[in-house]
Amino acid sequence: MKTQSSKKPRKPLTKGRIFSHLFVWVLILFTVFPIYIVIESSFNTTGLLSTNSFIPHGISLSNFRILFHDPAVPFSHWMLNSFILATANSIISVFVGAAAAFAFSRMKFRGRKSGLQALLLVQVFPSFLAIAAIYVMMERIYTVFPSFGLGSMGGLLLIYLGGSMGVNVWLLRGYINTIPMELDEAARIDGASTTQIYWLIFFPLAAPVLAVTALLTFIGTFNEFILASIFLTNVGQRTVAVGLESFVGAALGQNWGPFAAGSILASIPLVALFLSLQRFIIGGLTQGATKG
Amino acid sequence: MHRLSGFTGVKALIAKVLFMAVVDAFLIWMFLAAVSKHSGVIQLVTAIIFLIVNYVYFAKKPVPFKFLTPGLILMVLFILIPVIYTITMSAFNFQTGNEVSKDQAITALLANGLQPDANNTNYDMVLGSKGGVMTALLTDTQTKKSFIGNNSSVVALAPGSFTANTNGDAVSAPGFTPYTADQAANLGDEINALKMPLPGGVGLIEPQTETSASLFTEEYTYNSKADTLTNTSTGLVYKDNGDGNFELSSSPHTKLYPGWKAFNGFSNYLHLLDNPEVRGPFIGVFIWTFCFSIITVLMMFAVGLLLAIILDQKIALKRFYRSILILPYAIPSLMSILIWRGMFQTQYGAVNTLFHTHIDFMDSPWFAKGIVLIVNLWLGFPYFYLISSGALQAVPAELSEAASIDGANPAQILRRIKLPLVLQILSPLLIASFAFNFNNFNLIYLLTGGGPTDVLHGKFAGGTDILITYTYKTAFNGNHQDFGMASAISMVIFVIIGLISLWSIRRANVLDNNS
Repeated sequence: MKTQSSKKPRKPLTKGRIFSHLFVWVLILFTVFPIYIVIESSFNTTGLLSTNSFIPHGISLSNFRILFHDPAVPFSHWMLNSFILATANSIISVFVGAAAAFAFSRMKFRGRKSGLQALLLVQVFPSFLAIAAIYVMMERIYTVFPSFGLGSMGGLLLIYLGGSMGVNVWLLRGYINTIPMELDEAARIDGASTTQIYWLIFFPLAAPVLAVTALLTFIGTFNEFILASIFLTNVGQRTVAVGLESFVGAALGQNWGPFAAGSILASIPLVALFLSLQRFIIGGLTQGATKG
Repeated sequence: MHRLSGFTGVKALIAKVLFMAVVDAFLIWMFLAAVSKHSGVIQLVTAIIFLIVNYVYFAKKPVPFKFLTPGLILMVLFILIPVIYTITMSAFNFQTGNEVSKDQAITALLANGLQPDANNTNYDMVLGSKGGVMTALLTDTQTKKSFIGNNSSVVALAPGSFTANTNGDAVSAPGFTPYTADQAANLGDEINALKMPLPGGVGLIEPQTETSASLFTEEYTYNSKADTLTNTSTGLVYKDNGDGNFELSSSPHTKLYPGWKAFNGFSNYLHLLDNPEVRGPFIGVFIWTFCFSIITVLMMFAVGLLLAIILDQKIALKRFYRSILILPYAIPSLMSILIWRGMFQTQYGAVNTLFHTHIDFMDSPWFAKGIVLIVNLWLGFPYFYLISSGALQAVPAELSEAASIDGANPAQILRRIKLPLVLQILSPLLIASFAFNFNNFNLIYLLTGGGPTDVLHGKFAGGTDILITYTYKTAFNGNHQDFGMASAISMVIFVIIGLISLWSIRRANVLDNNS
């Protein structure tokens, strides 16, 4: 831990600076510990989330091989399912949500204020609080349209869409409020219709914010466990979250090795996505913070 | 004002019409499918959506609704309707043992009450029809007495009034036509439903196979006028208790199962307060939910803010620290939670290995609670670091400069000027985080499963259960599922969270500060 600033003279090590470095390093160890363990166990064959020495004895790819060669664990299907669900949910909900948020932010209509208050309540209501009701409903829909009912990805997607709508409209509305109104007013004077303003002026301006919202929805869907585990019972239909849980859940016992390998493979795309869009996400978060 | 609103131009119009044609075709297909499956509710919903969509997109007027409708439809269908249904369920006694309609419950009670008679009387049977009614010729296998019976009565056949085979079994009688094998095979359901009552309500003869039948005695008889069940052997009368079961008027709590889904108003909510068996665990879970959400937010905020203050200074390796420390926020939380669970295992878990201990973390309520807080700290401090550092940078530099001109040292500037402002900026996010953790299902369910649970004493509320995992267990717990109670708890959660959000938004005045 050496400071390599050659331009400025080194600051004296005060108590505060020692504490600062100590704090940061303890936090880094805390952060890295599970990440190290999971990487180590993915290359380990004991099937445990630990070793005796914490130093790898050798590298084995057998855990990764299980994921792609064992027909009982169709890992690539799980990944595909998760990506389909998360992509569809994030794109559709942002398109639909942005339109609604635009209306709430820019238009005056009767019921706007009570609509906003209702929206506020809806966005704090996690869909699975109503899980029993949703279950009964999807069972009924299944009898008429099997591809949108219980046990179908289509049905699960609809539930996700309904669930993410409240949060996304609420979030997007907050962002849209920060885009200056003068632009659309100028366009309106030039004779643009509301629809044209929406697509030609608002949408390009809001694109970064829409992308961040889409990404957060994507991550949220990817992490969703309970609805997916209740609705998609078929092994090949599972999402990666449910599939990986099944490695270490009660039913299959404690297969931590393949679980660790799968977690790493599933995390890589998300971590990469997150780190590459970091600037926007952090911007979005702080914007949310400073604008309320 | 909206003179120019709506689509303009021929291309746009054509695109709109084509798009709407697809949507309409799809909706009509759904409607017809619903008609063919006789699903009235789905027919109604599709028809309403069809009308709304076409009105909104073809009429000129409701411009805001052209933007709102798709979102509104999704929210109404998949949030509002389930919420309303949840409210409805919370007013019903709807649990294991009370899941069907009253008629179905009575049928089941009567069927369950049927028992072979004391002598195990069996009959050889020939099925056929007499006067167009399904009729059976029955011969007692012991006494060799013969009877003729149908769904309304059983009559003894006088010797000589029927034809018997060499075994002495009645095989034909005047006016009786035996079924052919094909006919009998086609009448399976009717044969199963055949119940031939003996005179005087002594019992019922029911077919066992196509050629044999047995005598059953009824434990209960249903009096549809008085809406009571009477036990035929003891004479005890069971009344509808208004809560989904027949019970003895002399000793309530002697209920007959199955019961039925019955409207019980606010009973589920009242049970949360006045039924000791329900109240005890509920209050415990309730308190822990609040403690957990408050403590965890404070912990994450404290660590995140401190980190933001430290990394806000000129410190070596800042970028390196930063990119490592936000990793927990980037890794899918579901996987991190499961990894932590594995690390806290007693036997081979990494934590015990690291400290050379052998602690059964998940078996002690206090360890388990601590673990939940530590793991959530790991998951959440990067987010709080990010928002704190954003808020710190949002504090205008002039303020600090002015203070330093007035002679304040950096520590004073931080404590007196920056922190109060940061706290003010972040308080809506702290409240939002509180609301999120209040319902942090994944964390609890995947990390501890709500445990440790004192199963030996028949409890299923565990040491780390929060309201939402408790709800889930109440609704989907293996042995006893109580949808009514689960819905009631859901509504309690909803009201708490709703009130907190409304309060926080009132505070922030977000609803008023935009035009």
